[in-house]
Amino acid sequence: MNEFVVALGWFGLFAPVALGAIGSAWGCALGGSAAIGAMLDSDGGYGRFIGVSLMPSSQVIYGIVIMFSLQQAQIDAANGAALFGIGLLSGVTMLFTGIRQGEVLASAIHASKAKPEIFGISLAPAAVLEGFSVFALVFALVLAGSIPS
Amino acid sequence: MSRPHQYIALVTSLPHLGKLFTRKEVPISEYRLKQRLSMLEPEHARLLRKIVEITAWSGVAKYREDRDVIRRATQVVADLKDFPDLQHLVGTRMETRTLIAALRRRRDGQESAGDIKTWGYGRWCSRIRENWNDPAFGLGHFMPWIGDAHRLMQAGDQIAMERLALTQVFRQLDHYNALHEFDFEAVAIYVLRWVIVERWSRYNADDAAERLKQLMAAALGHDTGTDAPAGERDLFANPSVAFDGAPS
Repeated sequence: MNEFVVALGWFGLFAPVALGAIGSAWGCALGGSAAIGAMLDSDGGYGRFIGVSLMPSSQVIYGIVIMFSLQQAQIDAANGAALFGIGLLSGVTMLFTGIRQGEVLASAIHASKAKPEIFGISLAPAAVLEGFSVFALVFALVLAGSIPS
Repeated sequence: MSRPHQYIALVTSLPHLGKLFTRKEVPISEYRLKQRLSMLEPEHARLLRKIVEITAWSGVAKYREDRDVIRRATQVVADLKDFPDLQHLVGTRMETRTLIAALRRRRDGQESAGDIKTWGYGRWCSRIRENWNDPAFGLGHFMPWIGDAHRLMQAGDQIAMERLALTQVFRQLDHYNALHEFDFEAVAIYVLRWVIVERWSRYNADDAAERLKQLMAAALGHDTGTDAPAGERDLFANPSVAFDGAPS
């Protein structure tokens, strides 16, 4: 049983990075596809399209920070379950927000091509999703401090 | 690129078409559009060709009989079984055509709908037949544009009639466009809108007046190609519109 909990602990430790990386890759691919398409139809402003399409890359960075905050000198039965719970759920959050951020960024790029003046405001939904990722990061850090070592 | 990403890139590469009647020319040429549409999957490209064929005037014009158009539309709708919104879109478009064909038949003196199944498509056939003498075929309470179309047709205002018909078609496209952003349906709806904008941009008031003059001359018997009785004409392919490109 103890070995199983230890395995879960290791799983939870790496989950924020792995799931965050998947979310970032997925989100950047969605936003990047929109940026590439928009560049075919634009005579300028390529940088801003590519720039915003990279916004979901923050999820993997948050995942790395969470992993370091969860890292323990030793993973055992006392802390394995906590690492699993915090790590897995924060990772799922990074995965989901990364994908959704890519989707809203694709929509923002598409809409701002037709109406360039809304470019800034069209990024608001993506910024809100970024905020949710930050919530998950901050409270994962808070809880990481109370894990028994 | 995988399919969702491929369609995101395709949709964002298409320029905004804007509102109907506000542009004098299309924002993307046919050549460029076809180039961009090469990103479509082969099966989707095939379906799109069929949709355009049955909804655009240039595609329908090659059919001699209305029943051929109806048969073809039925086949296209069946072929779109994986895309219910496109099925509804094509069906609604054909129903709009049926209503306009009915208005034209009535204007041309036809006293009843006759065998409407041979020239009409969709849900409103029996309603049209039962309410032939009502200006809006008994559908005016939820499709008020039919009454307006009736008045314009009686007044002979072909340009306003075409504008009204195209506005209705554009509204239908807008409705379905709101449900799709980065998928095949979104691309198909874009192309259908492009066809309308492109057709409208080809004409101007002078051309329309000249064409109307020719049609009136033809109606008076100077042109043997259009002197068939109203009931025998192909009303889906009826040339008696000011703009022969109007895919209403």
